[in-house]
Amino acid sequence: MAAPRRLTRTGSVLRVTDTGAHITASPISNARLAMVIFLAFESMFFAALIAAYLVFRLRSAIWPPSDLPQLPLAVTWMNTGVLAISAYTMRRARAAQRAGRRDELARSLVATAALGSLFLAVQGSEWARLVGHGLTLSTGMYGATFYTLIGCHGLHVLAAVVWLLVVLARAQRSRFAAPVRVPLELCAIYWFYVVGLWAALFPLVYLL
Amino acid sequence: MLSWWLPQNVSTYGGDVDRLFYLIFYITGVSWVLVQVSMLVFLFLYRHREGRRATYTHGNTTLEIMWTIVPALILIMLGFMSKATWDTIRHTHPPSTTVVQITAKQFNWEVLYPGPDGKFDTDDDKMIENDLHVPVNQVVRVRLSSKDVIHSFFVPQFRLKQDAVPGRVIEVWFEATLPGVYELPCAELCGFGHSGMLGHVTVQTAEDYQAWNKEQWPS
Amino acid sequence: MTSPAHAEAHAAHAEHHQLGFVRTYLFSTDHKMIGRQFLFMALFMMIIGGSLALMMRWELAWPEGNVGPEPNAATRVLLKLFGDASSGDLPIPFTKWIPEPYMYAGHMPPEFYNAAFTMHATIMIFFVVMPILVGCFGNFLIPLMIGARDMAFPFLNMLSFWVGAVAGVLMLAAFFVPGGAAAGGWTSYAPLSAVPTYTGVTWGQNLWCISLIVLGASSLMGSINYITTIINMRAPGMTYFRLPLTVWSLFITAVLLLLALPVLTAALAMLLLDRMAGTSFFLPAGGGEPLLWQHLFWFFGHPEVYIMILPGMGIASEILPVFARKPIFGYRAMAFSMIGIAFLGWIVWGHHMFQSGMNPTLGTSFMISTMVIAVPSAIKTFNWLGTLWGGNIRFTIPMLFALGFVAMFVIGGLSGIFMASTPVDIFIHDTYFIVAHIHYVLFGGSIFAIFGAIYFWFPKMFGRMMNNFLGYVHFWGTLIFYNGTFFPMHIIGIGGHMRRIYNPMQYEFLHPLQHWNVFMTVSALGLGLAQIPFVINFLYSLFFGPKAERNPWHSNTLEWVAVTPPPHGNFGPTLPTVYRGPYEYSSPGVEEDYLPQDRLLSDRPAHAH
Ligand code: HEM
Ligand SMILES: [Cu+2]
Ligand SMILES: [Cu+2]
Repeated sequence: MAAPRRLTRTGSVLRVTDTGAHITASPISNARLAMVIFLAFESMFFAALIAAYLVFRLRSAIWPPSDLPQLPLAVTWMNTGVLAISAYTMRRARAAQRAGRRDELARSLVATAALGSLFLAVQGSEWARLVGHGLTLSTGMYGATFYTLIGCHGLHVLAAVVWLLVVLARAQRSRFAAPVRVPLELCAIYWFYVVGLWAALFPLVYLL
Repeated sequence: MLSWWLPQNVSTYGGDVDRLFYLIFYITGVSWVLVQVSMLVFLFLYRHREGRRATYTHGNTTLEIMWTIVPALILIMLGFMSKATWDTIRHTHPPSTTVVQITAKQFNWEVLYPGPDGKFDTDDDKMIENDLHVPVNQVVRVRLSSKDVIHSFFVPQFRLKQDAVPGRVIEVWFEATLPGVYELPCAELCGFGHSGMLGHVTVQTAEDYQAWNKEQWPS
Repeated sequence: MTSPAHAEAHAAHAEHHQLGFVRTYLFSTDHKMIGRQFLFMALFMMIIGGSLALMMRWELAWPEGNVGPEPNAATRVLLKLFGDASSGDLPIPFTKWIPEPYMYAGHMPPEFYNAAFTMHATIMIFFVVMPILVGCFGNFLIPLMIGARDMAFPFLNMLSFWVGAVAGVLMLAAFFVPGGAAAGGWTSYAPLSAVPTYTGVTWGQNLWCISLIVLGASSLMGSINYITTIINMRAPGMTYFRLPLTVWSLFITAVLLLLALPVLTAALAMLLLDRMAGTSFFLPAGGGEPLLWQHLFWFFGHPEVYIMILPGMGIASEILPVFARKPIFGYRAMAFSMIGIAFLGWIVWGHHMFQSGMNPTLGTSFMISTMVIAVPSAIKTFNWLGTLWGGNIRFTIPMLFALGFVAMFVIGGLSGIFMASTPVDIFIHDTYFIVAHIHYVLFGGSIFAIFGAIYFWFPKMFGRMMNNFLGYVHFWGTLIFYNGTFFPMHIIGIGGHMRRIYNPMQYEFLHPLQHWNVFMTVSALGLGLAQIPFVINFLYSLFFGPKAERNPWHSNTLEWVAVTPPPHGNFGPTLPTVYRGPYEYSSPGVEEDYLPQDRLLSDRPAHAH
């Protein structure tokens, strides 16, 4: 049954869904809107952590304190690249999904998940090295802010990878035939967000 | 002795604080009476009656603009009047020869006097717990800090309150106008002994203050 | 008409009957059931929070059980009933069973007093006012009032309640761990809260942090649902400016919650790390900054106080027109003033920190913004009065509570101006004046609104009417004893009486004020007793109240279009279509004095509100 459409006074479109509910069709679906709302929450969370970081960063003349190890720049630049490529593969996946190219969808999703995991692995090993050099959560504000901020980001990447794997598993069950449109779209938004977050955190924590 | 209103004011800027308090008290008091009385009048006049039909109106723009602008002007005026007094208390640091360091800790005030040489970190510094002696009619500067948690230096009669924060030294000043002994409670929750964390400020005449100094630093 | 929609609605209805007990009452995804669950949880928590309050009041009036040299008449009666007249010892009644070191045979040690006010405030704020206003009425009313069948994400909604319930259990568990419950105040200022040895509280404070983080997740799920539902699922014709003001208020509340809570979550995470992982975010010894906690906390905290009052304002704006039989005065001003509050609420947090050592210039700017944020509240008050003017006022129980709300909120708003003035705040900060302010806005405001809302929507929620007589007793008892309990707090605050002290008799300058403490405690006992008719009324009416009609108050909004109590899916086969604003009372266009939002007037074009 074709959904009847009407115009309200404000000009937004109404439709009657197949469940019988009239919905004032808005330009954004419930799921996407919810995702955007959720990201607003995430942004405020990181804004608070970043504010705390800046308080300590801006008041200390020497940062990092001279007796503490520098953050590994070269490796992290490369790791940033890894994350950037993962955003690209995620975009490819989304495009493939929209165009119905199943093989490419599968390949791009696997690549994205792999790149995300690589990022986490490199971060993990760098952390292990830093801890080995004596930089821990309790070594002053330098250690505390670094691990909290970057750790929270890492947790978010981890969540994004897990989410992606779930989407992947669901898609795989139907050999990428059944539509995973909405889950994938949401997961992609989250992925871009996490990559974008890194684009803000990396300069702030490593370069500033 | 105060019974149920502002405690007696014995500091130079306390009068300004009290004047602001009374100004706000009158303004809010009048507003309160107006609102409450008109509400009661409306409730009486427009109570349900058989056959009565309520006035069908959705508002009145002129009225609404009025009662937005008038309160806004009054409030902003109060803001600027407050600023003046606030600046006197917190921004000016009148010169003074009487300086003490007060370090709060769970659950005492450590009052450090610089001694006759007027300098801290010298041999004649003297720490007395919970006992602050100051001369009357002279500016006294207090350097506040804390050893553990946040406390708050409160002398009701001076209209003075300032948190003592670990890791910072915050300077406040006052000039007492009446000799006497005033209580110095801690006003910020600081642990199980917060209630009862209490010192005393003794405001003394010039002679008494001299005598007290002699007593503390004989030599 | 037998459309697929029709069939579906029937199916939905049938499905409702097939769901077992567990799916209907426990793990329900129906917004109405979830709303009721929040209500029951919060009313239970209110009993705990209230008991803690009465214990504290007792301690303040008769510190350490000591009635003093000249006990007044009320004290003598209590002494006869609960104390030992010969020694003048008046322990807290019904608390002998609480073991040491929490209580000593009915005598409260300062450690427990601190835990009591900390947990009292935390419970009342996070587990009573928020769950009822946002969790219960947000859930129950939003879909019904905007004409939707449920929330956008019913499963998420269910999760929101159960995650919230877990948070509640964690919070209460704090009473049973060694070291006792959190005792750093509901504001948990660091470093006091950041180092266990400063308070002697170990897991109590940790649980406090964890519980609030978990509750944050619950609120996040709620906010996502509310915002999505209101934006995307309004019935045909339900434009933004035809939304009932309650929905407006809940919408803005959800936005504030969404943006404020993550800041608290971040702060709590840092506090936990300080306590458990050796960081020093808030500890100067390790390079940390105690005031950072206060900035983060109040950046959340001030929006939080509006989260607790905006729905109350919305509820009052709903009840007043219904019983004044008059359109709300200045609908748009009402909506825009709430939007104004939502913006201004982010730039005033420093008014809690005037005496904290924050830069005094910053204090001045926070003072000015705080003065400005009082304006929207003033606008609302005048508009409520305008709504009463020229009305045809019926003094039903919900109306009485709504009127009480207006009268009490005004006092709380006006007392805010004293504290907004930085020099005056020097004196009254951290005194009972603040406690008076808090309670006039949160009890006189939010709780009065909550009572009004319960009496108002009970028929729709539970399909039965509440008893009027008990309602009157409840209202007048509450109004009188409430003012007896909290108004004198202004007076002793002006007298310099500090808040959060356990024994006022330790201070000589407070001795002359002590009789007020006794007076307030006796009133508080009355206030507690005044809630008994409510409990009886609530429980009795739940099962035996007379059956409610569909629209007992002759109200306009869509929830009254649904049958009572609304079935799964809320509305019949088709959703209502909205033709006008929610407050068309006594419109000359119709004979009755109300005109529901969904009624199509055939002879006239539907006109905008
Ligand atoms: C009319 C506008 C209002 C103004 C100007 C105002 C002003 C203030 C100020 C300046 C303080 C800090 C006082 C101090 O600690 O020294 C304060 C505290 C407080 N306000 Fe308001 N307020 C207003 C409305 C509200 C509303 C609507 C609510 C809640 C429903 C509220 C709840 C609180 C609470 C809970 C505190 C105390 C927090 C604490 O220290 O524990 N206020 N208010
Ligand atoms: Cu203290
Ligand atoms: Cu505030």
